Amino acid sequence: MINRRHFLTTVAVGTASAAALAACGTGSNNAGKTGSAENPVTINYTWWGNDDRAERTRKAIALFESKNPDIKVNGNFTDFAGYWQKRATEAAGGGLPDVMQWDLSYLRDYGQRNQLLDLATVNINTDAFEKSLLPSGQIKGKTYGIPTSTNAFAVYYDPAKLASLGIAEPTGKWTYDEYNAFLTEVGTKSNGALFGGTDYTGVWWMFNIWLRQNNIEAFTEDGKLGFTRDDLKKWWNLTAELRGTPAIASEERVTQLAPKSAFGSNVTATEVTWDNFMAGYLADSGAKELKLVPVPSDDPDNLGLFLKPSMLMVASAKTQYKDAAARFIDFMVNDPEVGQIFKTSRGVPASKTQRDGTTFEGTDKLVVDYEKSIEQYLKDAPEPPIVGFGTLEASFKRISSDLNYGKLDINGATDAWFKEAEDLIKQNA
Amino acid sequence: MTTMATPTQSAPDAPAPHYNPKSESVGTKRAKSTLFHVVALVLTAVVLYPGLWMIASAFKPNSEIGGANTSLWSNNFSLDNFVTAMEGIGGVSTLQFFTNSLVLAIGAVVGTVLSASVSAYAFARISFPGRGVFFGMMIATLLLPFHVVIIPQYIVFQQLGLVDTYIPLLIGKFLAADAFFVFLMVQFMRGLPAELDEAARIDGAGHARIFGSIMLPLMKPALISTSIFSFIWSWNDFLGPLLYLNTPDKYPLPLALRLFVDQTQSSDYGAMIAMSVLALLPVLIFFLIFQRYIVEGVSTQGLKG
Repeated sequence: MINRRHFLTTVAVGTASAAALAACGTGSNNAGKTGSAENPVTINYTWWGNDDRAERTRKAIALFESKNPDIKVNGNFTDFAGYWQKRATEAAGGGLPDVMQWDLSYLRDYGQRNQLLDLATVNINTDAFEKSLLPSGQIKGKTYGIPTSTNAFAVYYDPAKLASLGIAEPTGKWTYDEYNAFLTEVGTKSNGALFGGTDYTGVWWMFNIWLRQNNIEAFTEDGKLGFTRDDLKKWWNLTAELRGTPAIASEERVTQLAPKSAFGSNVTATEVTWDNFMAGYLADSGAKELKLVPVPSDDPDNLGLFLKPSMLMVASAKTQYKDAAARFIDFMVNDPEVGQIFKTSRGVPASKTQRDGTTFEGTDKLVVDYEKSIEQYLKDAPEPPIVGFGTLEASFKRISSDLNYGKLDINGATDAWFKEAEDLIKQNA
Repeated sequence: MTTMATPTQSAPDAPAPHYNPKSESVGTKRAKSTLFHVVALVLTAVVLYPGLWMIASAFKPNSEIGGANTSLWSNNFSLDNFVTAMEGIGGVSTLQFFTNSLVLAIGAVVGTVLSASVSAYAFARISFPGRGVFFGMMIATLLLPFHVVIIPQYIVFQQLGLVDTYIPLLIGKFLAADAFFVFLMVQFMRGLPAELDEAARIDGAGHARIFGSIMLPLMKPALISTSIFSFIWSWNDFLGPLLYLNTPDKYPLPLALRLFVDQTQSSDYGAMIAMSVLALLPVLIFFLIFQRYIVEGVSTQGLKG
């Protein structure tokens, strides 16, 4: 799915960039058109998300319009999959909306093709942002995206399930061996009724974190792979003894449960993923409470963790209302009242001004507290992923599930992934 | 004469050489019939199960849908999903989405029926220069995948300033751009006796009159088939509205349905399924009303081929 979508994006944006080049050389006014209270300008803002986000965004827009009577915001939304089809077509047709909610994996693609506005050229206040976070919105010295909010990797667990099995809750200070032993304990003590977790070695970001823990970079600066086949073999070997045991859910089971996750379906006791999945897991599983602890690491001082922008705000390179777009982005990322409206539904607010101005309760507080608790371990956020990253991430998952099905051994899986990755990097070079 | 008559007369009395249902006992017959019906019922159950699952799930709490829950019925029966579904999304009421879908679908039906029948009349009954070439070109558009034309088409409508209106979605229907329907009607019309129009022409009727008074009434089965298909296709269309509509007030149902499921946040499968059930009703009603004509339409076409 990601493959196809990505392909469409590439084709579409390719066409569009040709058009953009042709249009080069028209004079540009730095502020763009401005409006007044009697004669406001209208900007288009688009986002993906569910009915809940639509409602919250509507409130935020109403607030913005009341504070900025010279700007009207026309909001529209679609689901995530449709969102990128629509953007690809619009980019090709030259009609991207003025301001857009954005995902990190699409930033380099659209940024490199000059579809996005360099936000450093307009007036957006980034003083309240962690300096380590901003580079993830930048490509070759240009700021294409401002993070609205952050997420971090974590191990989720269901305390009620552990209590019923008589297993102590994890502290989050654990090595991979200890985590594996924990998974096995859940599987054995429940007599297979509950799996420990899913195979965490199939998660690209967890691999990325493990590489960071071993001081290896996933991608070099020139967009090549920064790790070797041996590194990947070592990684996939970590759970070699757990595959096929009650410690981790079998691939058949996980596939049967889709689109729900194994953890959300109450089939596993733990799950390794982003901390902003909390609300979704609570809704899917119906659990009273879920908790978060840091990921395992063999080096207790280096957890390899980082904050990733869970979404960004970008503007179209062709917007006629640069000033209005900048003011709206600034409002959405910095204003404390916007924080109050969204809470952690976009992720934990990235701007300190917004974060401090928001009161977090219940689930929201858990996620915020988790990110606070790992503060001392945080390293620089990753750069925007290479073009085609979505495909790489998907093939990592797919090949890892072949490993679990027993279709491939670790050598075969490593070769298969490396071949796909190298081909893809060559194509996009 | 006698040799001709003998077989017909003696046939009923002659002993059955191979198979004769009459010779079977009533018991065997009943057993066979039972077996047939059991197999048919099992197959029906398999085919209908997804629909049944959908209806059953609409009444379950979200956490009990999908995943590890395999039972069809839930003890926590509730109508909450329908309440959520009817609340609307982002300030747009669900009724609005229904109205939009209905406007688009009815527009599509009216447009297609009008334009396709006129075009078909030209292709089937008027011999104008280049008819063969144009007909071939029209058939060729059937082979062109929709995805190939998405971007060029979008650019055209974008330049014309027609994005975020229903015009890009409906204009093609009014211009007989659906080659499938034109083709269907041409084939149907070719099966109608040409003597009818000749008789009308002798009586002094022009093309307009022949089309309106002779052809249209005879084409009822083809018109009904076209209406049903274009209604259902328009009702279910996702990509067209996704690309051309920007304002949520204008969204039809298929776009709205997706908004309950967001992989990056929480997904309300319950509300989505409840809305799917509601969205299915108009199509179902439309189909039930016109289904007897669809059978008639297809079978008449078969006879005339």
